Amino acid sequence: MQALAADRGITVSRLQPGDSLLEAVAVHGPDVVLVDMARPDRDALESLRQLSASNPRPIALFVDQDDPSFMEAAIAAGVSSYNVIGTPPPDVKPILRAAVALFRRYQQTRAALDSAETRLEERAVIDQAKTRLIRERRLSEPDAYRWLRRNAMSSGQKIVDVARKLLREAEDTRS
Amino acid sequence: MTVSAPVRLGLLRLADSAPSVVALQRGLFRELGLSVELSVEPSWANIADKLAYGLLDAASMLPPLALAAALGLRGAPAKLLVPMGLSGGGNTVTVRREVADAIASPAGAHDALAKGRRLAAWLRAQPAPPRFAVVHAFSTHNLLLRYWLAASGIDPDRDITTVVIPPEQVQAALAEGRIAGFCAGAPWGELAEQDGTGRHLLGTSEIWANHPEKCLAVAEPWAMANPAALQALLRGLLQAQLLCEQAGSAAWVAGLLAEPPLNLPAAAVRACLPRGSAAERIRFHAGGAWVPQRSQAIWFLAQMRRWGWLGTEIDLRDAAERVYRPDLLAAAADAEGRSWPGTDIVTAGGLCDGTIGDQPAAGV
Repeated sequence: MQALAADRGITVSRLQPGDSLLEAVAVHGPDVVLVDMARPDRDALESLRQLSASNPRPIALFVDQDDPSFMEAAIAAGVSSYNVIGTPPPDVKPILRAAVALFRRYQQTRAALDSAETRLEERAVIDQAKTRLIRERRLSEPDAYRWLRRNAMSSGQKIVDVARKLLREAEDTRS
Repeated sequence: MTVSAPVRLGLLRLADSAPSVVALQRGLFRELGLSVELSVEPSWANIADKLAYGLLDAASMLPPLALAAALGLRGAPAKLLVPMGLSGGGNTVTVRREVADAIASPAGAHDALAKGRRLAAWLRAQPAPPRFAVVHAFSTHNLLLRYWLAASGIDPDRDITTVVIPPEQVQAALAEGRIAGFCAGAPWGELAEQDGTGRHLLGTSEIWANHPEKCLAVAEPWAMANPAALQALLRGLLQAQLLCEQAGSAAWVAGLLAEPPLNLPAAAVRACLPRGSAAERIRFHAGGAWVPQRSQAIWFLAQMRRWGWLGTEIDLRDAAERVYRPDLLAAAADAEGRSWPGTDIVTAGGLCDGTIGDQPAAGV
Protein backbone atom coordinates (compact mmCIF):
# COMPACT_ATOMS: atom_id res chain seq x y z
CA MET A 1 0.00 0.00 0.00
CA GLN A 2 3.04 2.29 0.17
CA ALA A 3 2.69 3.15 -3.51
CA LEU A 4 -0.85 4.33 -2.85
CA ALA A 5 0.13 6.24 0.27
CA ALA A 6 2.90 8.00 -1.66
CA ASP A 7 0.30 9.59 -3.92
CA ARG A 8 -0.45 12.90 -2.25
CA GLY A 9 -3.95 12.98 -3.71
CA ILE A 10 -4.92 9.90 -1.72
CA THR A 11 -5.20 9.23 1.98
CA VAL A 12 -4.90 5.56 2.80
CA SER A 13 -6.24 4.16 6.08
CA ARG A 14 -5.34 0.54 6.75
CA LEU A 15 -7.25 -1.70 9.11
CA GLN A 16 -5.30 -3.34 11.91
CA PRO A 17 -5.85 -7.06 12.43
CA GLY A 18 -9.07 -7.56 14.38
CA ASP A 19 -10.55 -4.20 13.39
CA SER A 20 -14.16 -4.20 12.27
CA LEU A 21 -14.63 -3.25 8.65
CA LEU A 22 -17.95 -1.56 9.44
CA GLU A 23 -16.53 0.56 12.26
CA ALA A 24 -13.58 1.60 10.09
CA VAL A 25 -15.94 2.70 7.33
CA ALA A 26 -18.03 4.64 9.86
CA VAL A 27 -14.96 6.34 11.37
CA HIS A 28 -13.03 7.19 8.19
CA GLY A 29 -15.90 7.76 5.77
CA PRO A 30 -13.80 6.64 2.79
CA ASP A 31 -14.65 7.21 -0.86
CA VAL A 32 -13.52 3.74 -1.83
CA VAL A 33 -13.00 0.61 0.28
CA LEU A 34 -10.64 -2.10 -0.96
CA VAL A 35 -11.44 -5.41 0.67
CA ASP A 36 -9.44 -8.60 0.92
CA MET A 37 -11.98 -11.18 -0.25
CA ALA A 38 -10.86 -13.59 2.46
CA ARG A 39 -12.64 -11.32 5.02
CA PRO A 40 -15.97 -12.82 6.07
CA ASP A 41 -17.37 -9.39 7.04
CA ARG A 42 -17.88 -8.36 3.42
CA ASP A 43 -21.51 -9.46 3.83
CA ALA A 44 -21.94 -6.93 6.63
CA LEU A 45 -20.48 -4.12 4.52
CA GLU A 46 -22.71 -4.76 1.53
CA SER A 47 -25.81 -5.18 3.73
CA LEU A 48 -25.35 -1.75 5.30
CA ARG A 49 -27.50 0.12 2.82
CA GLN A 50 -30.52 -2.11 3.51
CA LEU A 51 -30.07 -2.41 7.26
CA SER A 52 -28.79 0.85 8.70
CA ALA A 53 -31.82 3.03 9.22
CA SER A 54 -29.90 5.71 11.12
CA ASN A 55 -27.01 6.39 8.77
CA PRO A 56 -27.97 5.30 5.28
CA ARG A 57 -24.60 6.07 3.70
CA PRO A 58 -24.91 4.74 0.16
CA ILE A 59 -22.65 1.77 -0.37
CA ALA A 60 -22.33 0.20 -3.77
CA LEU A 61 -20.09 -2.48 -5.05
CA PHE A 62 -17.82 -0.52 -7.33
CA VAL A 63 -17.81 -2.18 -10.67
CA ASP A 64 -16.43 -0.94 -13.93
CA GLN A 65 -19.12 -2.15 -16.28
CA ASP A 66 -17.03 -1.15 -19.30
CA ASP A 67 -14.17 -3.35 -18.24
CA PRO A 68 -15.41 -6.65 -16.84
CA SER A 69 -12.04 -8.33 -17.45
CA PHE A 70 -10.44 -5.88 -15.03
CA MET A 71 -12.98 -6.72 -12.32
CA GLU A 72 -12.41 -10.39 -13.06
CA ALA A 73 -8.67 -9.91 -12.58
CA ALA A 74 -9.27 -8.04 -9.33
CA ILE A 75 -11.55 -10.76 -7.97
CA ALA A 76 -9.12 -13.47 -9.07
CA ALA A 77 -6.42 -11.62 -7.16
CA GLY A 78 -8.66 -11.58 -4.09
CA VAL A 79 -9.58 -7.89 -4.06
CA SER A 80 -13.04 -6.45 -4.13
CA SER A 81 -13.97 -2.80 -4.00
CA TYR A 82 -16.85 -0.79 -2.63
CA ASN A 83 -17.63 2.80 -3.34
CA VAL A 84 -19.26 4.29 -0.25
CA ILE A 85 -20.15 7.82 -1.40
CA GLY A 86 -22.40 7.09 -4.36
CA THR A 87 -20.30 8.35 -7.26
CA PRO A 88 -16.82 6.94 -7.61
CA PRO A 89 -13.99 9.50 -7.85
CA PRO A 90 -12.71 9.80 -11.44
CA ASP A 91 -9.21 8.56 -10.63
CA VAL A 92 -10.36 5.39 -8.91
CA LYS A 93 -9.17 2.94 -11.55
CA PRO A 94 -5.40 3.57 -11.15
CA ILE A 95 -5.90 3.15 -7.40
CA LEU A 96 -7.60 -0.19 -7.93
CA ARG A 97 -4.94 -1.30 -10.39
CA ALA A 98 -2.17 -0.50 -7.92
CA ALA A 99 -4.06 -2.29 -5.15
CA VAL A 100 -4.58 -5.40 -7.27
CA ALA A 101 -0.88 -5.53 -8.23
CA LEU A 102 0.22 -5.05 -4.62
CA PHE A 103 -2.20 -7.62 -3.35
CA ARG A 104 -1.04 -10.16 -5.88
CA ARG A 105 2.60 -9.63 -4.90
CA TYR A 106 1.67 -9.92 -1.22
CA GLN A 107 -0.13 -13.21 -1.89
CA GLN A 108 2.88 -14.61 -3.74
CA THR A 109 5.14 -13.74 -0.82
CA ARG A 110 2.69 -15.31 1.59
CA ALA A 111 2.46 -18.47 -0.53
CA ALA A 112 6.26 -18.73 -0.69
CA LEU A 113 6.44 -18.30 3.07
CA ASP A 114 3.77 -20.91 3.65
CA SER A 115 5.53 -23.48 1.50
CA ALA A 116 8.85 -22.77 3.25
CA GLU A 117 7.14 -23.32 6.60
CA THR A 118 5.52 -26.51 5.38
CA ARG A 119 8.89 -27.85 4.20
CA LEU A 120 10.47 -27.11 7.58
CA GLU A 121 7.60 -28.79 9.40
CA GLU A 122 7.78 -31.83 7.13
CA ARG A 123 11.51 -32.14 7.68
CA ALA A 124 10.96 -32.13 11.45
CA VAL A 125 8.38 -34.94 11.16
CA ILE A 126 10.70 -37.04 9.00
CA ASP A 127 13.59 -36.46 11.43
CA GLN A 128 11.41 -37.56 14.33
CA ALA A 129 10.39 -40.73 12.50
CA LYS A 130 14.01 -41.46 11.62
CA THR A 131 15.05 -41.04 15.27
CA ARG A 132 12.37 -43.52 16.28
CA LEU A 133 13.48 -46.06 13.62
CA ILE A 134 17.11 -45.67 14.66
CA ARG A 135 16.23 -46.25 18.30
CA GLU A 136 13.60 -48.97 17.98
CA ARG A 137 14.75 -50.92 14.95
CA ARG A 138 18.45 -50.20 15.44
CA LEU A 139 18.82 -48.87 11.90
CA SER A 140 21.54 -46.52 10.75
CA GLU A 141 20.38 -43.05 9.73
CA PRO A 142 20.69 -43.72 5.95
CA ASP A 143 18.86 -47.02 6.44
CA ALA A 144 16.08 -45.32 8.41
CA TYR A 145 15.59 -42.86 5.57
CA ARG A 146 15.67 -45.68 3.00
CA TRP A 147 13.05 -47.55 5.06
CA LEU A 148 10.73 -44.53 4.92
CA ARG A 149 11.35 -44.02 1.23
CA ARG A 150 10.75 -47.69 0.36
CA ASN A 151 7.44 -47.67 2.27
CA ALA A 152 6.41 -44.43 0.61
CA MET A 153 7.09 -45.81 -2.86
CA SER A 154 5.34 -49.11 -2.27
CA SER A 155 2.23 -47.46 -0.81
CA GLY A 156 2.14 -44.53 -3.23
CA GLN A 157 2.36 -42.01 -0.38
CA LYS A 158 4.66 -39.10 0.35
CA ILE A 159 7.58 -39.80 2.69
CA VAL A 160 6.22 -37.31 5.21
CA ASP A 161 2.87 -39.14 5.29
CA VAL A 162 4.60 -42.45 6.00
CA ALA A 163 6.58 -40.72 8.76
CA ARG A 164 3.38 -39.26 10.23
CA LYS A 165 1.69 -42.66 10.17
CA LEU A 166 4.66 -44.27 11.91
CA LEU A 167 4.63 -41.64 14.65
CA ARG A 168 0.87 -41.94 15.07
CA GLU A 169 1.06 -45.73 15.42
CA ALA A 170 3.83 -45.38 17.98
CA GLU A 171 1.60 -42.93 19.86
CA ASP A 172 -1.34 -45.36 19.75
CA THR A 173 0.61 -48.34 21.05
CA ARG A 174 1.90 -46.22 23.93
CA SER A 175 -1.48 -44.96 25.06
CA MET B 1 -20.00 -36.95 -22.54
CA THR B 2 -16.73 -35.16 -22.12
CA VAL B 3 -16.32 -31.92 -20.27
CA SER B 4 -12.94 -30.32 -20.54
CA ALA B 5 -12.76 -27.80 -17.67
CA PRO B 6 -14.00 -28.81 -14.22
CA VAL B 7 -17.19 -27.09 -13.10
CA ARG B 8 -16.40 -24.65 -10.31
CA LEU B 9 -19.08 -24.98 -7.64
CA GLY B 10 -19.12 -22.48 -4.74
CA LEU B 11 -20.51 -23.02 -1.26
CA LEU B 12 -20.25 -21.87 2.35
CA ARG B 13 -19.49 -23.84 5.53
CA LEU B 14 -23.09 -24.81 6.22
CA ALA B 15 -24.92 -28.09 6.77
CA ASP B 16 -27.21 -27.40 3.81
CA SER B 17 -24.18 -27.51 1.49
CA ALA B 18 -24.55 -31.28 1.82
CA PRO B 19 -25.91 -32.07 -1.69
CA SER B 20 -22.82 -30.58 -3.38
CA VAL B 21 -20.40 -32.34 -1.02
CA VAL B 22 -22.23 -35.68 -1.23
CA ALA B 23 -22.46 -35.56 -5.03
CA LEU B 24 -18.72 -34.95 -5.27
CA GLN B 25 -17.47 -37.33 -2.56
CA ARG B 26 -19.82 -40.15 -3.53
CA GLY B 27 -18.65 -39.90 -7.14
CA LEU B 28 -22.14 -39.01 -8.46
CA PHE B 29 -20.80 -36.23 -10.68
CA ARG B 30 -18.01 -38.49 -11.93
CA GLU B 31 -20.48 -41.21 -12.90
CA LEU B 32 -22.27 -38.61 -15.01
CA GLY B 33 -19.00 -37.70 -16.74
CA LEU B 34 -18.71 -34.40 -14.92
CA SER B 35 -15.63 -33.08 -13.20
CA VAL B 36 -16.42 -30.67 -10.35
CA GLU B 37 -14.25 -28.55 -8.08
CA LEU B 38 -15.71 -27.26 -4.81
CA SER B 39 -14.78 -23.75 -3.75
CA VAL B 40 -15.55 -22.98 -0.09
CA GLU B 41 -16.01 -19.22 0.19
CA PRO B 42 -15.88 -17.05 3.31
CA SER B 43 -18.82 -14.81 2.35
CA TRP B 44 -21.99 -14.67 0.26
CA ALA B 45 -20.56 -11.54 -1.32
CA ASN B 46 -17.68 -13.63 -2.71
CA ILE B 47 -20.12 -16.13 -4.20
CA ALA B 48 -22.14 -13.36 -5.85
CA ASP B 49 -19.02 -11.61 -7.22
CA LYS B 50 -17.42 -14.78 -8.52
CA LEU B 51 -20.63 -15.90 -10.22
CA ALA B 52 -21.03 -12.47 -11.80
CA TYR B 53 -17.49 -12.41 -13.18
CA GLY B 54 -17.20 -16.03 -14.27
CA LEU B 55 -14.84 -17.21 -11.52
CA LEU B 56 -17.50 -19.66 -10.38
CA ASP B 57 -19.83 -21.54 -12.73
CA ALA B 58 -22.40 -22.47 -10.11
CA ALA B 59 -23.01 -22.06 -6.39
CA SER B 60 -25.26 -22.90 -3.50
CA MET B 61 -26.93 -19.55 -3.01
CA LEU B 62 -29.46 -17.60 -0.94
CA PRO B 63 -32.50 -17.12 -3.22
CA PRO B 64 -33.04 -13.44 -2.27
CA LEU B 65 -29.37 -12.68 -2.93
CA ALA B 66 -29.49 -14.46 -6.29
CA LEU B 67 -32.46 -12.27 -7.22
CA ALA B 68 -30.84 -9.11 -5.82
CA ALA B 69 -27.60 -9.79 -7.72
CA ALA B 70 -29.47 -10.47 -10.98
CA LEU B 71 -31.47 -7.25 -10.59
CA GLY B 72 -28.39 -5.14 -9.87
CA LEU B 73 -29.31 -4.33 -6.26
CA ARG B 74 -25.68 -4.97 -5.21
CA GLY B 75 -23.46 -3.66 -8.01
CA ALA B 76 -23.81 -4.34 -11.71
CA PRO B 77 -26.60 -6.75 -12.66
CA ALA B 78 -25.19 -10.29 -12.65
CA LYS B 79 -26.15 -12.71 -15.39
CA LEU B 80 -27.27 -15.66 -13.36
CA LEU B 81 -30.05 -18.22 -13.37
CA VAL B 82 -31.69 -20.39 -10.72
CA PRO B 83 -32.45 -23.82 -12.26
CA MET B 84 -32.93 -25.79 -9.03
CA GLY B 85 -33.74 -25.64 -5.33
CA LEU B 86 -31.12 -27.22 -3.06
CA SER B 87 -32.82 -27.24 0.34
CA GLY B 88 -35.71 -26.01 2.44
CA GLY B 89 -35.98 -25.00 6.09
CA GLY B 90 -33.19 -25.54 8.62
CA ASN B 91 -32.68 -22.04 10.03
CA THR B 92 -33.37 -21.18 13.63
CA VAL B 93 -34.08 -18.06 15.61
CA THR B 94 -31.86 -18.46 18.65
CA VAL B 95 -31.82 -16.00 21.55
CA ARG B 96 -29.73 -15.46 24.67
CA ARG B 97 -30.80 -17.53 27.65
CA GLU B 98 -32.09 -14.58 29.64
CA VAL B 99 -34.25 -13.47 26.70
CA ALA B 100 -35.70 -16.98 26.40
CA ASP B 101 -36.37 -17.03 30.15
CA ALA B 102 -38.01 -13.61 30.07
CA ILE B 103 -40.48 -14.59 27.36
CA ALA B 104 -41.04 -18.20 28.42
CA SER B 105 -44.67 -19.12 29.06
CA PRO B 106 -45.10 -22.76 30.06
CA ALA B 107 -48.89 -22.44 30.00
CA GLY B 108 -49.10 -20.16 26.97
CA ALA B 109 -49.45 -20.99 23.29
CA HIS B 110 -46.36 -22.10 21.39
CA ASP B 111 -47.15 -21.13 17.84
CA ALA B 112 -44.85 -18.66 16.10
CA LEU B 113 -47.15 -15.67 16.58
CA ALA B 114 -47.66 -16.33 20.31
CA LYS B 115 -43.89 -16.46 20.76
CA GLY B 116 -43.54 -13.34 18.63
CA ARG B 117 -46.04 -11.39 20.74
CA ARG B 118 -44.22 -12.32 23.93
CA LEU B 119 -40.96 -11.19 22.31
CA ALA B 120 -42.71 -7.93 21.36
CA ALA B 121 -43.61 -7.30 25.01
CA TRP B 122 -40.01 -7.92 26.06
CA LEU B 123 -38.69 -5.64 23.32
CA ARG B 124 -40.97 -2.80 24.48
CA ALA B 125 -39.43 -3.02 27.95
CA GLN B 126 -35.86 -2.59 26.66
CA PRO B 127 -34.17 0.82 26.96
CA ALA B 128 -32.61 0.53 23.47
CA PRO B 129 -33.43 -1.67 20.46
CA PRO B 130 -31.67 -5.02 21.06
CA ARG B 131 -29.40 -6.32 18.31
CA PHE B 132 -30.33 -9.34 16.21
CA ALA B 133 -27.94 -10.87 13.69
CA VAL B 134 -28.66 -12.30 10.26
CA VAL B 135 -26.17 -13.53 7.67
CA HIS B 136 -26.89 -11.05 4.88
CA ALA B 137 -29.48 -8.37 4.17
CA PHE B 138 -30.65 -10.34 1.11
CA SER B 139 -31.01 -13.63 2.98
CA THR B 140 -33.96 -15.92 3.59
CA HIS B 141 -33.04 -15.53 7.28
CA ASN B 142 -33.48 -11.78 7.24
CA LEU B 143 -36.70 -11.79 5.20
CA LEU B 144 -38.31 -14.55 7.27
CA LEU B 145 -37.23 -12.97 10.57
CA ARG B 146 -38.64 -9.60 9.50
CA TYR B 147 -41.87 -11.21 8.28
CA TRP B 148 -42.39 -12.96 11.62
CA LEU B 149 -41.49 -9.89 13.69
CA ALA B 150 -43.87 -7.71 11.67
CA ALA B 151 -46.65 -10.29 11.94
CA SER B 152 -46.11 -10.22 15.72
CA GLY B 153 -46.50 -6.44 15.91
CA ILE B 154 -42.78 -5.61 15.90
CA ASP B 155 -41.26 -3.01 13.59
CA PRO B 156 -37.99 -4.62 12.46
CA ASP B 157 -36.56 -1.23 11.48
CA ARG B 158 -37.34 0.45 14.80
CA ASP B 159 -37.81 -2.09 17.59
CA ILE B 160 -34.62 -4.06 16.92
CA THR B 161 -31.26 -3.28 15.33
CA THR B 162 -30.31 -5.76 12.63
CA VAL B 163 -26.62 -6.52 12.20
CA VAL B 164 -24.92 -8.86 9.76
CA ILE B 165 -22.54 -11.43 11.23
CA PRO B 166 -21.06 -14.44 9.35
CA PRO B 167 -22.77 -17.66 10.47
CA GLU B 168 -19.64 -19.12 12.04
CA GLN B 169 -19.33 -16.06 14.31
CA VAL B 170 -22.92 -15.77 15.61
CA GLN B 171 -22.35 -18.22 18.47
CA ALA B 172 -19.43 -16.16 19.82
CA ALA B 173 -21.36 -12.90 19.36
CA LEU B 174 -24.26 -14.35 21.36
CA ALA B 175 -21.92 -15.67 24.09
CA GLU B 176 -20.22 -12.26 24.42
CA GLY B 177 -23.58 -10.49 24.65
CA ARG B 178 -22.99 -8.45 21.48
CA ILE B 179 -26.38 -9.62 20.18
CA ALA B 180 -29.64 -10.65 21.84
CA GLY B 181 -30.35 -13.27 19.21
CA PHE B 182 -29.79 -14.38 15.64
CA CYS B 183 -31.40 -16.14 12.73
CA ALA B 184 -28.84 -18.44 11.09
CA GLY B 185 -28.59 -21.73 9.26
CA ALA B 186 -27.58 -25.11 10.65
CA PRO B 187 -25.62 -26.09 12.62
CA TRP B 188 -24.90 -22.69 14.22
CA GLY B 189 -28.12 -22.43 16.28
CA GLU B 190 -27.72 -26.01 17.49
CA LEU B 191 -24.14 -25.24 18.59
CA ALA B 192 -25.19 -22.14 20.55
CA GLU B 193 -27.83 -24.24 22.25
CA GLN B 194 -25.33 -27.00 23.06
CA ASP B 195 -22.83 -24.63 24.68
CA GLY B 196 -25.61 -23.18 26.81
CA THR B 197 -25.46 -19.55 25.66
CA GLY B 198 -28.47 -19.72 23.38
CA ARG B 199 -31.98 -21.10 23.40
CA HIS B 200 -33.89 -22.21 20.36
CA LEU B 201 -36.87 -19.86 20.05
CA LEU B 202 -38.30 -21.09 16.78
CA GLY B 203 -37.40 -22.64 13.45
CA THR B 204 -37.94 -20.76 10.22
CA SER B 205 -40.34 -23.51 9.05
CA GLU B 206 -42.67 -22.22 11.81
CA ILE B 207 -42.62 -18.84 10.03
CA TRP B 208 -43.20 -20.31 6.57
CA ALA B 209 -43.88 -24.05 6.40
CA ASN B 210 -41.95 -25.68 3.54
CA HIS B 211 -40.02 -22.49 2.85
CA PRO B 212 -37.25 -22.69 0.26
CA GLU B 213 -33.75 -22.16 1.68
CA LYS B 214 -30.73 -22.59 -0.63
CA CYS B 215 -30.98 -22.64 -4.39
CA LEU B 216 -28.52 -23.50 -7.12
CA ALA B 217 -27.45 -20.37 -8.98
CA VAL B 218 -25.50 -20.75 -12.22
CA ALA B 219 -23.64 -18.19 -14.32
CA GLU B 220 -25.86 -17.69 -17.37
CA PRO B 221 -23.02 -17.53 -19.95
CA TRP B 222 -21.63 -20.81 -18.59
CA ALA B 223 -25.05 -22.50 -18.55
CA MET B 224 -25.81 -21.45 -22.12
CA ALA B 225 -22.41 -22.61 -23.40
CA ASN B 226 -22.48 -25.93 -21.48
CA PRO B 227 -26.02 -27.34 -21.58
CA ALA B 228 -24.82 -30.94 -21.17
CA ALA B 229 -22.66 -30.07 -18.16
CA LEU B 230 -25.58 -28.19 -16.62
CA GLN B 231 -27.83 -31.25 -17.00
CA ALA B 232 -25.18 -33.50 -15.44
CA LEU B 233 -24.76 -31.02 -12.58
CA LEU B 234 -28.53 -30.96 -11.94
CA ARG B 235 -28.77 -34.75 -12.08
CA GLY B 236 -25.84 -35.25 -9.71
CA LEU B 237 -27.32 -32.79 -7.21
CA LEU B 238 -30.76 -34.38 -7.54
CA GLN B 239 -29.32 -37.82 -6.76
CA ALA B 240 -27.38 -36.37 -3.83
CA GLN B 241 -30.50 -34.68 -2.42
CA LEU B 242 -32.35 -38.00 -2.47
CA LEU B 243 -29.42 -39.71 -0.71
CA CYS B 244 -29.34 -36.96 1.95
CA GLU B 245 -33.08 -37.38 2.50
CA GLN B 246 -32.93 -41.18 2.84
CA ALA B 247 -33.45 -42.91 6.18
CA GLY B 248 -30.15 -43.96 7.73
CA SER B 249 -27.98 -41.55 5.76
CA ALA B 250 -27.62 -38.84 8.43
CA ALA B 251 -24.58 -40.44 10.07
CA TRP B 252 -22.42 -40.73 6.97
CA VAL B 253 -23.59 -37.38 5.54
CA ALA B 254 -22.63 -35.69 8.83
CA GLY B 255 -19.34 -37.59 8.67
CA LEU B 256 -18.61 -36.25 5.18
CA LEU B 257 -19.39 -32.68 6.26
CA ALA B 258 -17.05 -33.09 9.24
CA GLU B 259 -14.15 -33.76 6.87
CA PRO B 260 -12.29 -31.19 4.79
CA PRO B 261 -13.17 -28.92 3.15
CA LEU B 262 -16.14 -28.04 5.39
CA ASN B 263 -14.86 -29.36 8.76
CA LEU B 264 -18.25 -28.94 10.42
CA PRO B 265 -19.01 -30.40 13.89
CA ALA B 266 -20.52 -33.82 13.08
CA ALA B 267 -22.92 -34.23 16.02
CA ALA B 268 -24.55 -30.80 15.64
CA VAL B 269 -24.85 -31.26 11.87
CA ARG B 270 -26.42 -34.67 12.28
CA ALA B 271 -29.12 -33.24 14.56
CA CYS B 272 -30.13 -30.76 11.83
CA LEU B 273 -30.31 -33.28 8.96
CA PRO B 274 -33.58 -35.00 7.95
CA ARG B 275 -34.85 -37.18 10.86
CA GLY B 276 -32.33 -35.54 13.20
CA SER B 277 -33.00 -34.61 16.81
CA ALA B 278 -33.11 -30.82 16.32
CA ALA B 279 -36.47 -29.06 16.38
CA GLU B 280 -35.82 -27.46 12.98
CA ARG B 281 -34.39 -29.76 10.34
CA ILE B 282 -33.20 -29.29 6.77
CA ARG B 283 -35.23 -30.73 3.90
CA PHE B 284 -33.20 -31.59 0.83
CA HIS B 285 -35.86 -32.94 -1.47
CA ALA B 286 -39.07 -33.35 0.55
CA GLY B 287 -41.76 -30.72 0.44
CA GLY B 288 -40.79 -29.71 -3.09
CA ALA B 289 -37.41 -28.33 -1.93
CA TRP B 290 -35.82 -29.25 -5.26
CA VAL B 291 -38.18 -27.24 -7.49
CA PRO B 292 -37.34 -23.55 -7.94
CA GLN B 293 -40.88 -22.19 -7.92
CA ARG B 294 -41.39 -18.80 -9.46
CA SER B 295 -44.16 -18.03 -6.99
CA GLN B 296 -41.53 -18.31 -4.24
CA ALA B 297 -39.21 -15.94 -6.10
CA ILE B 298 -42.10 -13.48 -6.31
CA TRP B 299 -42.65 -13.79 -2.56
CA PHE B 300 -38.99 -12.93 -1.87
CA LEU B 301 -39.11 -10.01 -4.31
CA ALA B 302 -42.35 -8.75 -2.77
CA GLN B 303 -40.74 -8.81 0.68
CA MET B 304 -37.77 -6.83 -0.62
CA ARG B 305 -40.17 -4.27 -2.03
CA ARG B 306 -42.12 -4.19 1.23
CA TRP B 307 -38.96 -3.07 3.06
CA GLY B 308 -38.12 -0.47 0.47
CA TRP B 309 -35.16 -2.21 -1.17
CA LEU B 310 -36.77 -2.73 -4.54
CA GLY B 311 -38.36 0.03 -6.63
CA THR B 312 -41.77 -0.19 -8.26
CA GLU B 313 -40.17 0.04 -11.73
CA ILE B 314 -39.28 -3.64 -11.52
CA ASP B 315 -42.03 -6.08 -12.50
CA LEU B 316 -41.86 -8.89 -9.96
CA ARG B 317 -43.33 -11.61 -12.18
CA ASP B 318 -41.06 -10.62 -15.04
CA ALA B 319 -37.97 -10.71 -12.78
CA ALA B 320 -38.98 -14.08 -11.32
CA GLU B 321 -39.50 -15.59 -14.76
CA ARG B 322 -36.16 -14.29 -16.00
CA VAL B 323 -34.08 -15.59 -13.08
CA TYR B 324 -35.99 -18.69 -11.94
CA ARG B 325 -35.76 -21.38 -14.63
CA PRO B 326 -37.58 -24.52 -13.45
CA ASP B 327 -37.85 -25.48 -17.13
CA LEU B 328 -34.11 -26.27 -17.13
CA LEU B 329 -34.74 -28.88 -14.44
CA ALA B 330 -37.45 -30.79 -16.31
CA ALA B 331 -35.07 -32.93 -18.41
CA ALA B 332 -32.86 -33.77 -15.43
CA ALA B 333 -35.93 -34.74 -13.38
CA ASP B 334 -37.08 -36.96 -16.23
CA ALA B 335 -33.67 -38.63 -16.54
CA GLU B 336 -33.73 -39.35 -12.80
CA GLY B 337 -37.25 -40.73 -12.92
CA ARG B 338 -38.71 -38.01 -10.70
CA SER B 339 -42.23 -37.07 -11.56
CA TRP B 340 -42.01 -33.48 -12.68
CA PRO B 341 -44.52 -31.21 -10.96
CA GLY B 342 -44.43 -28.71 -13.81
CA THR B 343 -43.24 -25.15 -13.77
CA ASP B 344 -46.41 -23.50 -12.53
CA ILE B 345 -47.55 -25.85 -9.81
CA VAL B 346 -46.91 -24.61 -6.32
CA THR B 347 -46.43 -26.53 -3.11
CA ALA B 348 -48.65 -24.74 -0.68
CA GLY B 349 -46.86 -23.72 2.46
CA GLY B 350 -48.62 -21.68 5.12
CA LEU B 351 -47.16 -18.56 6.65
CA CYS B 352 -47.37 -17.98 10.39
CA ASP B 353 -50.07 -15.32 9.99
CA GLY B 354 -52.33 -17.68 8.07
CA THR B 355 -51.57 -16.55 4.52
CA ILE B 356 -50.16 -18.90 1.91
CA GLY B 357 -46.50 -18.27 1.19
CA ASP B 358 -46.69 -19.15 -2.44
CA GLN B 359 -49.38 -16.62 -3.16
CA PRO B 360 -47.49 -13.70 -4.65
CA ALA B 361 -49.48 -11.07 -2.80
CA ALA B 362 -48.93 -12.62 0.64
CA GLY B 363 -47.66 -10.18 3.18
CA VAL B 364 -47.32 -7.28 0.78
